[in-house]
Amino acid sequence: MQPETIQQQRGTQYENLLRLLGEPGSATENVSALKATRMRSILNCYRLAEAYKKGTKVAYVSEQFPTEIVFAMGAIPWNIESMAIMLAQSVDVNRIFQMTQEHELSRDICSFLRGPFGMMLAECYPSPDIVLTNDQPCEGLSKMMFMSGKRYTAPVLGLHSPNSVDDDSLNYLVKQLEQMLLRIAHEFGVELNGDSLRAAVDYSNQARAYYCKTLSLLETHRLPGVSRELQEIFGMNYFGTKENVQVCKVLYEEAVELVQGEQNSGKRVLWIGQVPEESHELLRHMREAVDIIFWAPLWEANSVMLDEAQPLRSIAERAILYHWSAGRMEKDILRICDAYGIEGFLIANVWGCRNMVGISPMLRDVATSRKLKYLTVNLDLVDRNNYAFNHVKNRVDAFLELMQ
Amino acid sequence: MITAGIDVGSLSTKSALINDANEVIAFDVVLTGGVNRAAAETTYDNVLAKAGLTRSDISYVVTTGYGRENVSFADKHVSEITCHGIGMHIMNPEIRTIIEIGGQDSKAIRIDEAGRVEHFAMNDKCAAGCGRFLEVTAKAMGIDLKELGPVSAQSQNILRISSTCTVFAETEIVSLVAEGTPIPDIVKAVHKSIATRAMSLLRQVGMTGPLGMSGGVALNSGVVRSLEESLNTKIFIADNPQVRGAIGAAYIGQRAA
Repeated sequence: MQPETIQQQRGTQYENLLRLLGEPGSATENVSALKATRMRSILNCYRLAEAYKKGTKVAYVSEQFPTEIVFAMGAIPWNIESMAIMLAQSVDVNRIFQMTQEHELSRDICSFLRGPFGMMLAECYPSPDIVLTNDQPCEGLSKMMFMSGKRYTAPVLGLHSPNSVDDDSLNYLVKQLEQMLLRIAHEFGVELNGDSLRAAVDYSNQARAYYCKTLSLLETHRLPGVSRELQEIFGMNYFGTKENVQVCKVLYEEAVELVQGEQNSGKRVLWIGQVPEESHELLRHMREAVDIIFWAPLWEANSVMLDEAQPLRSIAERAILYHWSAGRMEKDILRICDAYGIEGFLIANVWGCRNMVGISPMLRDVATSRKLKYLTVNLDLVDRNNYAFNHVKNRVDAFLELMQ
Repeated sequence: MITAGIDVGSLSTKSALINDANEVIAFDVVLTGGVNRAAAETTYDNVLAKAGLTRSDISYVVTTGYGRENVSFADKHVSEITCHGIGMHIMNPEIRTIIEIGGQDSKAIRIDEAGRVEHFAMNDKCAAGCGRFLEVTAKAMGIDLKELGPVSAQSQNILRISSTCTVFAETEIVSLVAEGTPIPDIVKAVHKSIATRAMSLLRQVGMTGPLGMSGGVALNSGVVRSLEESLNTKIFIADNPQVRGAIGAAYIGQRAA
């Protein structure tokens, strides 16, 4: 796609987005009072507006894509899934899903995939200059990334991540990353700059250090809102920027303050699976009885510090660790149970997510082996047409009674 | 001390009174209708009248069921999973697994030796296989709900209802009736489909001991027979199975008061 065309489109797309945001819809209150949350919101708004500007390089990325590479190339990563979920809090999401059905996308497909698809159909996302994807952990998302490349006639570069962490796998992935960098440089018409990658890696590590220190505090303390903010930082995935260092630092400092006034917030339940927006009624309801912490920000892969001497190799290792390998994930969940004092699992099987369905038996086995109470709920956390709170609440109440 | 349990379900609202010897003094069942709060008031008044008591004689009221939180005079709300668990336990302490089929949901519940719920599973994507499903299919065949059990006993042929959705199943049944398929065979197939769904839930929680059944559908001998055949085991049916949740709620009231 020609740059002029992209810029014209982005103007319209930004107007479309603002129009959608202004319509009566499902706007929700922000219930978190953390400074880090407010900072991240402003950072998101800034990045979001920047992405629609003339001359900005936008790279569509999938979940857990190594964004250090994107920042090193001077582009803004546009995580199509996270952005859809974030925007779902502010726009009339029903209209978005209706649009996907009008285009024959089945309601059985995970709403975390239908959301971005709908946002693209609504012509609200900025046209990408490039599409970067990894095939793990969600292959469905990867396929959607390829479709988005076709829609916007943007080049699509995909990483294929093997399952095992060994020299062969790492070398294979490093080679892909090297080729990807060269190709991005070519597409952007820029020279590959080692300094910018080093800077991105340095920022990533600085942020990661604060992130890990916050995780350590969360292991032994009840810190309201902190797990949620870690989830947001994980989902936003701005590792590689100076601003993200600041967000992670502020969150850590707030976590230290929260330790001082710590209060018992009930038994600790690990929320496994996709997460609804912060003010979702189900979360609010559960929080009255238990302390919920979210699993994804606790994964071992999030704690990997990048090797500044061999950044691509450590990025490759992290990418493999993000792979939902059942054996590794089982060990990781057991570690999380022990470290964070988990007393129950809420397994959120989002409709149509075959990844969650695939690992659910392992999760149930882990719960049984640790004598933990667990509840599996099949639900849709975004599309209200697929979800009735009263039905879900009924079984959640029974689970909470079990927990007591 | 007398306590009351009120189970506000999707189809019917049930109430029960028990004394401190855990004896059921009276119980009552009314249709829920459109306003579940009103149904709770009605059945509460009915059960008190049956026992010759007034509201001031009741020490504690526990509500359960979907409409439990809409009852203003309740002292406590408890989920029906917990209530059915304890309600079955006080009937037969040997029971460790319960299948409860109500108006809009089916539940398999595993309980421990004290009647505490250890694990449970419920239908979640649709209500096919529940009381409402039977109601709709009975109507489609033009027979009374109470007749389903005896009618299915006359079945001579094995038939399969393939639909998993109540509305689609109704269409399928109407077609079978129009084709002249014997009604007992259709009814038996409907019961079999309910039993199959119930078995999936039971396997999810794991059957660890004697199996009991509660909920209104336990009154249907055809469903019970299909389940027993499928599981190759005897099922203990609660006295007044549709009121077990309310009895469990009243029992929880005894402990809470």
